[in-house]
Amino acid sequence: MSRQILIVDDSRLSRMISRQYVLSLHSDWQIAEAATGEQAIEMAAVNPPYLILLDVNMPGMGGLEAAAVLRKSHPDTHIVLLTANVQNSVQAAAEQLGIGFLSKPIIEAQIHAMLNKLEQTP
Amino acid sequence: MSELPNISEIEADCLMEIFNIGVGHAAAAMSNIVNEEVRMSVPSLHFTTRSDAADELGADLSLCGISQHYQGAYATEAILMFPETASFEIVRMMVGDMIPAHELGAMEREAMCEIGNIVLNACVGTLANMFEKDLIGSLPVFRVGSSQHILNPADEEDDPILLMLRIDFSLERQQIEGYLAFILDMSALRDLREQIRIYISRLEAGIAPVGLSMP
Amino acid sequence: MKDNLLLDAFSALSLGVIVVDSHYRVTLWNNWLALHTGIEASEATGEDFFVLFPELRHHRVGVAIHQAIFHNLPALLSQSLHRSPFPLFVEPTQPVERISQAVTIVPLGSEERYCLIQIVDVSTAVHRESLLRDQAHELLAQSLSDGLTGVGNRRYFDLCIEKEWRASKRNKKPLSMLLIDVDFFKRYNDCYGHHQGDECLQTVASEMRNALLRPNDLLFRYGGEEFCALLPETCADEALRIAETLRGRVQSLALPHVNAPAGVVSVSIGVATHCQHAHAAHIELIQAADRALYEAKHAGRNRVNASTGGCSDTTAPQWMPHHALR
Repeated sequence: MSRQILIVDDSRLSRMISRQYVLSLHSDWQIAEAATGEQAIEMAAVNPPYLILLDVNMPGMGGLEAAAVLRKSHPDTHIVLLTANVQNSVQAAAEQLGIGFLSKPIIEAQIHAMLNKLEQTP
Repeated sequence: MSELPNISEIEADCLMEIFNIGVGHAAAAMSNIVNEEVRMSVPSLHFTTRSDAADELGADLSLCGISQHYQGAYATEAILMFPETASFEIVRMMVGDMIPAHELGAMEREAMCEIGNIVLNACVGTLANMFEKDLIGSLPVFRVGSSQHILNPADEEDDPILLMLRIDFSLERQQIEGYLAFILDMSALRDLREQIRIYISRLEAGIAPVGLSMP
Repeated sequence: MKDNLLLDAFSALSLGVIVVDSHYRVTLWNNWLALHTGIEASEATGEDFFVLFPELRHHRVGVAIHQAIFHNLPALLSQSLHRSPFPLFVEPTQPVERISQAVTIVPLGSEERYCLIQIVDVSTAVHRESLLRDQAHELLAQSLSDGLTGVGNRRYFDLCIEKEWRASKRNKKPLSMLLIDVDFFKRYNDCYGHHQGDECLQTVASEMRNALLRPNDLLFRYGGEEFCALLPETCADEALRIAETLRGRVQSLALPHVNAPAGVVSVSIGVATHCQHAHAAHIELIQAADRALYEAKHAGRNRVNASTGGCSDTTAPQWMPHHALR
């Protein structure tokens, strides 16, 4: 079953990597990209995705702020934060929002494990 | 004399992402030490010459620099720099002392050395990891003075290429701006760019990358 | 022959040296280390480093060893950022206080990677620095004391609360604050004159300062007739007890105050305690104490009131200082 994914990261390279990792498991999924939190909110409004991958460290509206907004507007969408800075405050914030996170640098196995887990939950 | 590399947007993006991951790890490590939120990011970078970099930073600014030398691939020296006044703040926040110091004492310098060690190792480690190259690093050395003194303490004649990164550091709601300079030799630079090119072309060809991963 | 000499030299070094292999197994362990850990080389050699020091696995030490082995990168751990990472004691059979340590971690070997961990005892240097720091604090304190009462002034309080706030977060210990206000002070001044009002403040401050027995508990003059006490590493219960002691002592002074309902000078005290995530910034702790003080005034003065929210008593036991556990 084809799904919609939104990848949000100010680094084009990082978006490319995540895209490849998702496609290598699900080649038929549709992947949209956003470079900022604001863009992500706009795009999600038009096309509600199944999953949003959100980089935490972005200029302007950071990933945590965007995640909070998106969690409210899209309660059924899976949201996963990506960050290199895994510290208590980030973990706590993610937990509070009911959002998972993956630590950068992401490896393929991590993304695949996360995707498989999502498929199992309703 | 040496030509500044004309890097493409995607190459710059790749370097930025590598260093952002590096300083992200460093911030997590420092946050672990003080049990406070610490954030670090690399908002921009550019290639320049050592003399131009010294000029850019200005002759009037007093800086604290922590330097580590490397042998093997890539950089020959990496230097983390903060304005001296900012360094007092950083040490005070990390060490937790309230004395408004006029000079960094021996213990404060050591604390700065460790901070430099954490940041530089995280960056160089991420770089080395991505391209699976071996590096041999030195222990950190502390210097204080003008940009010229920090970047070229031995007053060498040659003018190598530098990769200069801006660093944004935030701790306890204080925002501090610093710099990270990688002094590269020509073969290291060529090698690095080649590796990046290969990495990106594989990505664009749709091959899921193996690199940029830590064990 | 030379090998034996080298090993003897290594063993005789008056600093701690551990060498681990790429699987984190201890390969070399010198005498100094045996002396100060109580673990002999025969026990340590061949053992997994993280079995000997489990708390260091996710500590900077563990990360640094990993970086040395896998990336050839050395690390420095300064004594100012780390409170003695290794369990080393002057006399390990009487483990009172850990030795202050400066640690360096250096990769060794080319084909086979090893890691050298060097630990230097820096207790004298740390002690000397802390003496200098105490002297500097004293000098600073002189410029930061309130002219009238001799307790810390507002500026000193601002510096101290920041420092104690950070320490509280770093060490994960609670920080308590008391806001103390002299009851009906304006009436006192109106009745007895400002000169006597000043004397009253001096007496009250002096009595309260004497009542604070622990060296780290500091009293400050926060405003006109308002004082404040910072109690580091003090949980809510203990803070309440100390506040009540202060209140009682001031009442016992029996300074006559005809225009006060009880006829003597008294204080109202608001108590607030911060631990871990109770407040986001120290300003919130001050505000909590302020609200608690307001309630105390509102409820009739000459009393102590603790702010609700923040720490619950159920979390207090793990932080309770030893002397409170009588």
